[in-house]
Amino acid sequence: MFSEKPEFSIAIPSQTQLLKMVVEITRHIATLYNFRPADAQKISLAVDEAITNAIKHSYDNREDQDISVEYFLEAEGLKIRLTYSGTPPDLIDHEINLCSMIKNKSKGGLGVELIRRIMDSVAYKTVDGINTCEMIKWQKRA
Amino acid sequence: MRNFQVRSKVVNDVAVIYPKGHLDAHNVGRFEKEIVKHIGDHNFKILINGRDLNYITSAGMGVIMGYVDEVREKGGDIKLCSLNERVYEIFDLVGFTEIYDFVSDEQAAMAKFSHVLGKA
Repeated sequence: MFSEKPEFSIAIPSQTQLLKMVVEITRHIATLYNFRPADAQKISLAVDEAITNAIKHSYDNREDQDISVEYFLEAEGLKIRLTYSGTPPDLIDHEINLCSMIKNKSKGGLGVELIRRIMDSVAYKTVDGINTCEMIKWQKRA
Repeated sequence: MRNFQVRSKVVNDVAVIYPKGHLDAHNVGRFEKEIVKHIGDHNFKILINGRDLNYITSAGMGVIMGYVDEVREKGGDIKLCSLNERVYEIFDLVGFTEIYDFVSDEQAAMAKFSHVLGKA
Protein backbone atom coordinates (compact mmCIF):
# COMPACT_ATOMS: atom_id res chain seq x y z
CA MET A 1 0.00 0.00 0.00
CA PHE A 2 1.15 3.50 -0.71
CA SER A 3 1.47 5.83 2.23
CA GLU A 4 -0.91 8.77 2.59
CA LYS A 5 1.94 11.23 2.46
CA PRO A 6 3.81 11.78 -0.79
CA GLU A 7 7.58 11.36 -0.85
CA PHE A 8 7.91 14.25 -3.27
CA SER A 9 5.53 16.92 -4.48
CA ILE A 10 5.76 19.85 -6.82
CA ALA A 11 3.33 22.64 -7.65
CA ILE A 12 3.46 24.43 -10.98
CA PRO A 13 1.43 27.08 -12.78
CA SER A 14 -0.48 25.76 -15.79
CA GLN A 15 2.19 26.58 -18.39
CA THR A 16 3.34 24.22 -21.10
CA GLN A 17 6.86 25.68 -20.93
CA LEU A 18 7.21 23.81 -17.61
CA LEU A 19 6.34 20.41 -19.05
CA LYS A 20 9.94 19.48 -19.78
CA MET A 21 10.99 20.32 -16.23
CA VAL A 22 8.29 18.03 -14.78
CA VAL A 23 9.24 15.31 -17.27
CA GLU A 24 12.85 15.46 -16.11
CA ILE A 25 11.92 15.43 -12.42
CA THR A 26 9.58 12.46 -12.96
CA ARG A 27 12.17 10.55 -14.94
CA HIS A 28 14.73 11.19 -12.24
CA ILE A 29 12.40 10.00 -9.46
CA ALA A 30 11.39 6.87 -11.39
CA THR A 31 15.03 6.02 -12.12
CA LEU A 32 15.95 6.59 -8.48
CA TYR A 33 13.32 4.00 -7.54
CA ASN A 34 14.76 1.35 -9.82
CA PHE A 35 12.59 1.69 -12.87
CA ARG A 36 14.60 0.92 -15.99
CA PRO A 37 15.51 4.06 -17.98
CA ALA A 38 13.09 3.11 -20.78
CA ASP A 39 10.23 2.67 -18.30
CA ALA A 40 11.16 5.86 -16.46
CA GLN A 41 10.92 7.74 -19.75
CA LYS A 42 7.47 6.30 -20.44
CA ILE A 43 6.23 7.14 -16.93
CA SER A 44 7.41 10.72 -17.42
CA LEU A 45 5.59 10.82 -20.77
CA ALA A 46 2.36 9.74 -19.04
CA VAL A 47 2.77 12.62 -16.58
CA ASP A 48 3.47 15.01 -19.46
CA GLU A 49 0.26 13.90 -21.21
CA ALA A 50 -1.83 14.21 -18.04
CA ILE A 51 -0.55 17.75 -17.32
CA THR A 52 -1.01 18.76 -20.96
CA ASN A 53 -4.63 17.58 -20.80
CA ALA A 54 -5.21 19.56 -17.61
CA ILE A 55 -3.75 22.73 -19.16
CA LYS A 56 -5.54 22.39 -22.50
CA HIS A 57 -8.91 21.01 -21.51
CA SER A 58 -9.51 21.80 -17.86
CA TYR A 59 -7.83 25.21 -17.86
CA ASP A 60 -8.47 26.08 -21.52
CA ASN A 61 -4.80 27.10 -21.86
CA ARG A 62 -4.97 29.70 -19.07
CA GLU A 63 -1.46 30.01 -17.65
CA ASP A 64 -2.23 31.26 -14.14
CA GLN A 65 -3.88 28.16 -12.72
CA ASP A 66 -2.40 25.59 -10.34
CA ILE A 67 -1.38 21.99 -10.86
CA SER A 68 0.19 19.82 -8.21
CA VAL A 69 2.06 16.60 -8.83
CA GLU A 70 2.64 14.19 -5.94
CA TYR A 71 4.82 11.08 -6.02
CA PHE A 72 4.04 8.16 -3.69
CA LEU A 73 6.67 5.47 -3.54
CA GLU A 74 6.79 1.96 -2.24
CA ALA A 75 8.94 -1.05 -2.98
CA GLU A 76 6.52 -2.44 -5.54
CA GLY A 77 5.75 0.67 -7.49
CA LEU A 78 5.17 4.36 -8.00
CA LYS A 79 1.90 6.25 -7.72
CA ILE A 80 1.62 9.74 -9.18
CA ARG A 81 -1.30 12.00 -8.37
CA LEU A 82 -2.12 15.15 -10.30
CA THR A 83 -4.50 17.64 -8.69
CA TYR A 84 -6.04 20.57 -10.53
CA SER A 85 -9.34 22.39 -10.81
CA GLY A 86 -11.15 23.75 -13.87
CA THR A 87 -13.40 21.74 -16.17
CA PRO A 88 -13.57 18.04 -15.25
CA PRO A 89 -11.84 15.82 -17.81
CA ASP A 90 -14.14 14.43 -20.49
CA LEU A 91 -12.80 10.95 -21.05
CA ILE A 92 -13.62 8.39 -23.67
CA ASP A 93 -14.09 4.96 -22.14
CA HIS A 94 -13.05 2.94 -25.17
CA GLU A 95 -9.83 2.45 -27.07
CA ILE A 96 -9.13 4.93 -29.81
CA ASN A 97 -9.37 3.99 -33.48
CA LEU A 98 -6.51 5.68 -35.32
CA CYS A 99 -8.00 5.15 -38.79
CA SER A 100 -11.26 6.89 -37.93
CA MET A 101 -9.37 9.64 -36.10
CA ILE A 102 -7.35 10.28 -39.27
CA LYS A 103 -10.52 10.35 -41.40
CA ASN A 104 -12.26 12.71 -38.97
CA LYS A 105 -9.13 14.83 -38.48
CA SER A 106 -9.55 14.31 -34.77
CA LYS A 107 -6.63 14.37 -32.37
CA GLY A 108 -8.59 14.01 -29.12
CA GLY A 109 -7.92 11.05 -26.91
CA LEU A 110 -4.43 10.21 -28.11
CA GLY A 111 -2.78 11.45 -24.92
CA VAL A 112 -5.28 9.67 -22.68
CA GLU A 113 -4.70 6.47 -24.65
CA LEU A 114 -0.93 6.80 -24.23
CA ILE A 115 -1.37 7.18 -20.47
CA ARG A 116 -3.58 4.06 -20.36
CA ARG A 117 -1.06 2.00 -22.29
CA ILE A 118 1.94 3.15 -20.29
CA MET A 119 0.59 2.95 -16.74
CA ASP A 120 -0.82 -0.12 -14.99
CA SER A 121 -3.79 1.78 -13.62
CA VAL A 122 -5.26 5.24 -14.16
CA ALA A 123 -8.15 6.71 -12.17
CA TYR A 124 -9.78 10.09 -12.64
CA LYS A 125 -12.01 11.68 -10.02
CA THR A 126 -13.70 15.04 -9.55
CA VAL A 127 -14.91 16.01 -6.08
CA ASP A 128 -16.11 19.51 -5.17
CA GLY A 129 -14.51 21.02 -8.26
CA ILE A 130 -11.12 19.41 -7.65
CA ASN A 131 -9.93 16.98 -10.32
CA THR A 132 -7.46 14.24 -9.58
CA CYS A 133 -5.71 11.82 -11.89
CA GLU A 134 -3.97 8.95 -10.12
CA MET A 135 -1.60 6.77 -12.09
CA ILE A 136 0.22 3.69 -10.83
CA LYS A 137 3.14 1.83 -12.35
CA TRP A 138 4.25 -1.39 -10.70
CA GLN A 139 7.80 -2.64 -10.76
CA LYS A 140 8.36 -5.58 -13.07
CA ARG A 141 9.47 -8.63 -11.14
CA ALA A 142 12.69 -10.24 -12.34
CA MET B 1 19.52 26.71 -26.08
CA ARG B 2 16.08 25.77 -27.34
CA ASN B 3 14.68 22.38 -26.37
CA PHE B 4 13.30 21.85 -29.84
CA GLN B 5 14.39 22.91 -33.30
CA VAL B 6 13.13 22.04 -36.73
CA ARG B 7 14.54 22.56 -40.20
CA SER B 8 13.71 21.10 -43.57
CA LYS B 9 14.80 20.85 -47.17
CA VAL B 10 13.26 19.65 -50.40
CA VAL B 11 15.10 16.82 -52.14
CA ASN B 12 13.70 16.17 -55.59
CA ASP B 13 10.02 16.52 -54.76
CA VAL B 14 10.19 15.18 -51.21
CA ALA B 15 10.08 17.59 -48.27
CA VAL B 16 12.42 16.24 -45.61
CA ILE B 17 11.73 17.62 -42.13
CA TYR B 18 14.32 17.28 -39.36
CA PRO B 19 12.80 17.73 -35.89
CA LYS B 20 15.48 17.91 -33.21
CA GLY B 21 15.24 17.52 -29.45
CA HIS B 22 12.18 17.46 -27.23
CA LEU B 23 8.83 17.77 -29.05
CA ASP B 24 5.93 18.43 -26.69
CA ALA B 25 2.76 20.52 -26.43
CA HIS B 26 4.81 23.66 -25.81
CA ASN B 27 6.73 23.65 -29.06
CA VAL B 28 4.49 21.60 -31.35
CA GLY B 29 3.38 24.75 -33.18
CA ARG B 30 6.79 25.10 -34.83
CA PHE B 31 6.66 21.50 -36.03
CA GLU B 32 3.15 21.96 -37.41
CA LYS B 33 4.14 25.20 -39.15
CA GLU B 34 6.90 23.37 -41.01
CA ILE B 35 4.51 20.68 -42.28
CA VAL B 36 1.88 23.26 -43.25
CA LYS B 37 4.52 25.29 -45.14
CA HIS B 38 5.38 22.31 -47.35
CA ILE B 39 1.76 21.38 -47.97
CA GLY B 40 1.15 25.02 -48.90
CA ASP B 41 4.02 24.72 -51.40
CA HIS B 42 2.33 21.62 -52.85
CA ASN B 43 4.98 19.26 -51.52
CA PHE B 44 2.71 16.38 -50.59
CA LYS B 45 5.49 13.85 -50.15
CA ILE B 46 6.79 14.49 -46.67
CA LEU B 47 9.52 12.60 -44.87
CA ILE B 48 10.07 13.17 -41.17
CA ASN B 49 13.66 12.25 -40.40
CA GLY B 50 13.68 11.69 -36.64
CA ARG B 51 17.37 10.93 -36.21
CA ASP B 52 17.76 13.83 -33.74
CA LEU B 53 14.36 13.55 -32.11
CA ASN B 54 14.71 12.28 -28.56
CA TYR B 55 11.19 12.78 -27.19
CA ILE B 56 7.68 13.06 -28.60
CA THR B 57 4.24 13.35 -27.03
CA SER B 58 0.75 12.95 -28.46
CA ALA B 59 0.90 16.63 -29.47
CA GLY B 60 3.52 15.87 -32.14
CA MET B 61 1.86 12.63 -33.13
CA GLY B 62 -1.45 14.47 -33.48
CA VAL B 63 0.09 16.88 -35.99
CA ILE B 64 1.30 13.99 -38.15
CA MET B 65 -2.14 12.42 -37.88
CA GLY B 66 -3.90 15.65 -38.78
CA TYR B 67 -2.29 16.01 -42.21
CA VAL B 68 -1.70 12.49 -43.47
CA ASP B 69 -5.16 12.08 -44.98
CA GLU B 70 -4.84 15.34 -46.91
CA VAL B 71 -1.45 14.51 -48.41
CA ARG B 72 -2.49 10.96 -49.27
CA GLU B 73 -5.56 12.28 -51.08
CA LYS B 74 -3.19 14.39 -53.16
CA GLY B 75 -0.95 11.49 -54.08
CA GLY B 76 1.63 11.99 -51.34
CA ASP B 77 2.31 10.54 -47.95
CA ILE B 78 3.96 11.26 -44.62
CA LYS B 79 6.70 8.72 -43.90
CA LEU B 80 9.03 8.58 -40.93
CA CYS B 81 12.62 7.39 -40.78
CA SER B 82 15.68 7.02 -38.54
CA LEU B 83 13.81 7.12 -35.22
CA ASN B 84 15.65 6.00 -32.13
CA GLU B 85 14.28 2.97 -30.34
CA ARG B 86 12.51 4.87 -27.54
CA VAL B 87 10.73 7.29 -29.83
CA TYR B 88 9.71 4.46 -32.17
CA GLU B 89 8.31 2.59 -29.17
CA ILE B 90 6.01 5.52 -28.33
CA PHE B 91 4.63 5.55 -31.89
CA ASP B 92 4.19 1.80 -31.64
CA LEU B 93 2.33 2.02 -28.32
CA VAL B 94 -0.67 3.71 -29.93
CA GLY B 95 -0.57 1.79 -33.21
CA PHE B 96 1.06 4.37 -35.50
CA THR B 97 3.44 1.75 -36.85
CA GLU B 98 0.50 -0.09 -38.42
CA ILE B 99 -0.77 2.93 -40.29
CA TYR B 100 2.35 4.89 -41.19
CA ASP B 101 5.40 3.87 -43.13
CA PHE B 102 8.40 3.73 -40.78
CA VAL B 103 11.65 3.32 -42.68
CA SER B 104 15.19 2.65 -41.47
CA ASP B 105 16.88 5.67 -43.05
CA GLU B 106 16.44 8.60 -45.41
CA GLN B 107 17.81 6.81 -48.44
CA ALA B 108 15.37 3.93 -48.03
CA ALA B 109 12.50 6.36 -47.55
CA MET B 110 13.44 8.27 -50.71
CA ALA B 111 13.52 5.00 -52.63
CA LYS B 112 10.03 4.19 -51.36
CA PHE B 113 8.68 7.55 -52.46
CA SER B 114 10.27 7.02 -55.89
CA HIS B 115 8.87 3.50 -56.10
CA VAL B 116 5.34 4.76 -55.45
CA LEU B 117 5.76 7.18 -58.32
CA GLY B 118 7.09 4.45 -60.59
CA LYS B 119 10.46 6.13 -60.95
CA ALA B 120 12.54 3.37 -59.37
